Amino acid sequence: MTSLTWDRRKDSATRFWRGYRTHRAGLYGLAGLALIALLALAAPLIVGSDVQSVTEAPGTALEPPSAEFPLGTDQFGRSLLGLLIWGARISLLVGLLAAALSVAIGTLVGIIAGHYGGWFSTVVMRITDWFLVMPTLVLAIVLATVMSRSMWTVVLAIGVTSWPTTARLVRAQTIAVESRPYIERATALGGGHRHVMTRHVLPNVMPLVLAQTTLGISTAILTEATLAFLGLGDPTVVSWGGMLQDAREAGAVSSGHWWYLAPPGIAIALVALAFTLCGRAVESVLNPKLGVGR
Amino acid sequence: MVMVTKVPPRPTPVRRALRPLLATGVAAGLAVGSLVVVPGTAQAEDEKSGGTTLTVAVSQSIDSLSPFLAQKLTSTSIHRLAYEYLTNYDPKDARTVPGLATAWTSSPDKLTWTYTIRKDSTWSDGQQATAEDAAWTFNKMMTDPDAATANGSFTANFAAVTAPDPQTLVIRLKKPQATMTALDVPIVPKHVWEKVTDFSKFNNDKTFPIVGNGPFVITDFKVDQYIKLKPNKKFWRGAPQFDELVFKYYKDGDAAVAALQKGEVSFVPNLTPAQAAALKTQKNIKVNDAPGRRFYALATNPGAKAQDGKTFGNGNKALLDPEVRKALFLAVDRTTLVDKVFQGHAVEGEGYIPPRFGSYFWKPETTQKRAYDPAGAEKVLDAAGYRKNAAGKRLGKDGRPLDLRILCHATDPNDKAVGKYLQEWWGKLGIGLKVECLDSVSDPWVKGDYDLAFDGWSVNPDPDYVLSIHTCGTLPATPKDSGATDNFICDKEFDGLYAQQAVEYDTAKRADLVKRMQSRLYDTGYMNIMAYPNALEAYRTDQIKSITTMPEAAGNLWGQDGYWSWWSAVPTDRAADSDGGSSTGVVIGIAAAVVVVVGLGVFLGLRRRSTADDRE
Repeated sequence: MTSLTWDRRKDSATRFWRGYRTHRAGLYGLAGLALIALLALAAPLIVGSDVQSVTEAPGTALEPPSAEFPLGTDQFGRSLLGLLIWGARISLLVGLLAAALSVAIGTLVGIIAGHYGGWFSTVVMRITDWFLVMPTLVLAIVLATVMSRSMWTVVLAIGVTSWPTTARLVRAQTIAVESRPYIERATALGGGHRHVMTRHVLPNVMPLVLAQTTLGISTAILTEATLAFLGLGDPTVVSWGGMLQDAREAGAVSSGHWWYLAPPGIAIALVALAFTLCGRAVESVLNPKLGVGR
Repeated sequence: MVMVTKVPPRPTPVRRALRPLLATGVAAGLAVGSLVVVPGTAQAEDEKSGGTTLTVAVSQSIDSLSPFLAQKLTSTSIHRLAYEYLTNYDPKDARTVPGLATAWTSSPDKLTWTYTIRKDSTWSDGQQATAEDAAWTFNKMMTDPDAATANGSFTANFAAVTAPDPQTLVIRLKKPQATMTALDVPIVPKHVWEKVTDFSKFNNDKTFPIVGNGPFVITDFKVDQYIKLKPNKKFWRGAPQFDELVFKYYKDGDAAVAALQKGEVSFVPNLTPAQAAALKTQKNIKVNDAPGRRFYALATNPGAKAQDGKTFGNGNKALLDPEVRKALFLAVDRTTLVDKVFQGHAVEGEGYIPPRFGSYFWKPETTQKRAYDPAGAEKVLDAAGYRKNAAGKRLGKDGRPLDLRILCHATDPNDKAVGKYLQEWWGKLGIGLKVECLDSVSDPWVKGDYDLAFDGWSVNPDPDYVLSIHTCGTLPATPKDSGATDNFICDKEFDGLYAQQAVEYDTAKRADLVKRMQSRLYDTGYMNIMAYPNALEAYRTDQIKSITTMPEAAGNLWGQDGYWSWWSAVPTDRAADSDGGSSTGVVIGIAAAVVVVVGLGVFLGLRRRSTADDRE
């Protein structure tokens, strides 16, 4: 039994990878992600946490790019390249956690609403609709403003505001799955709500959830950067959005210090792009309806 | 308290208005570059009409246009322009010069002061300004607590104010008062203001032009957009030369600088060092870097308490130990802060009053001074029994690690920057620091819910007010009230000296008392004055030909004690060309932004295409 399951899983993984390989854009995205993830993970070895230290900053304020500082320095004399690499950690971490939180909430709400149906589903879905029409960013700003400034606040603010899309998708899928005859058989054999939801519905909505998570990460990273740029992030940690905010506060925009502004901005755009490319590829592999790959 | 003051510390650059705008352009704010290229139109407009307009970029909101309520720097600066005060300060050396009063004498017991009111000052509606107006203004403040909101400290000691004839104002005091030639109270026209019923609600911003007798008349006001003023042609000292004075709101410093580069505004205060350095190299722009009248300090919570003796707030108990405060302050390297955070545009902090006010400036003796000495700080903590645990954290007397919080203004980049340094310096001592940045710090501050805070005040030529905020009398009446106190400091010795200086008319003796007060304040160790930041400001020389700084040698333009800068400004002949003055740096910056925006466009395009696929 166990080996059978494993064989089946291995098969499907191989099939998935074969499908994914046909998506060139998806491969580029994956390569980009691997590179950035590697940099973020190896940051303590490459630059070390000293890069954040203001008292031991090696350079002078706002130096232009040079051999010693390839991307110049910030207003404290810290190397911007070092900060960019170090900032990748927070940006990626917040993006991943926020997307995971958002998809977790969405999946839970979606499955429960789809499974129970009736007036319960109606009520839950009206609440979802309400969150859906609320402008995400405005809601996130309100949340980040009223709560204390920390990384977890940002994760929470993004997570609890971006789940409704996932909830709607998962609910639709849940209803589709539950209309199949084998669910009826499972119920007839004595499977309870819990059994049906966790053993039959969840595995079937998982591919959708996975694709949704990958796509959600890029949105979450963008929102994190926006919140940090607007000064709502934790000012004591280095993140890409926070770097943009620091640059603005130092007056880098009007004084023409482009090397302070451009790299974090480009980094955000690239990571968001990479996650989107991966997400689209995963989605089209798992969902045959989306047709041939690009 | 930092936010509610007569001359508040930092005109905090609030950026709220910009936020929705940026929020709509999500894109991680990458559109930043586009902010730089706001097209200039204002100048073109006034060239058409032929008049000269002096536009000043401001960021701090107006709290009220009623002189009885206004406490913020922008509001009080505008009241200086719209109303005459009894006396003014000389722009050269800040000594008292005539304002609405031409002369003043006091009785031998110094309890009766007689002012001669000038005959050549008229209200902008044509009526003569008389002693009756001044008497009415003071009497209103003495009898109506709502009218005493902003400047009540000046009239609290008044026994009676009368106007025996239109040119004579007599003030009788309960006890001598040293500020009698520095009464910074706008005198309002009685015939207009006696119709006002509720002074706590009347904001003086409904009917324009607002009747006044200063060098300018307020003609229009839109909240957080602009305040427009026209010159008062009949002003007794001479009419200002510009045809219009506009205070225009820019909640973002970079947007204001871009507007200056475009010639949309004539003057921008509160520059960052990077902005000042970039503007210095540009044609037609003059950067003014003058010693400031502000101090920038660290304040520790001395255990917030009210006049009824009740303590409140959740300040860390360890800070009640003078040794802990001493160690913290010993580990602060003020010269590094001046070099790195202010990049030389500040002077290292010592006493309470900035060196600019020479006669009151005091600095600690070498034996008394807390110079930078991290090793000494360690010793002080060790000797006081705060041991390090295995993880290198200092333990408090309760056996728990010593972790402190500091209140920071989210809108002030300097607070955040200094916070980073403090975290590292104190981290080496084994003391943790959490930087809590809030848009408005007044709430936790008034409740005493803080350990340390960034503090700062603008100092007037007469230091009475900034000294008064550390006396026991300004503590809140009960924990529920809010007092004028800055930081809940209450020290009997300081209070005694304060009472002495308040009644001392001999300037040398008073200066000596003020210095002793500063010495005492230094020794209590509740505050660490880190720096006296410079006034960094810039104006367009192709719009303003000349302008008076205060003090005349190396003085500031924004936030003066008087109306000198805007009253004296002379417009430049408009024949001269005014080119945009965009440096190559800006061009490269925009190019970089374009690259980023294009990249995002591609990204968003891909997303759009993908979602199109979804719609089967």
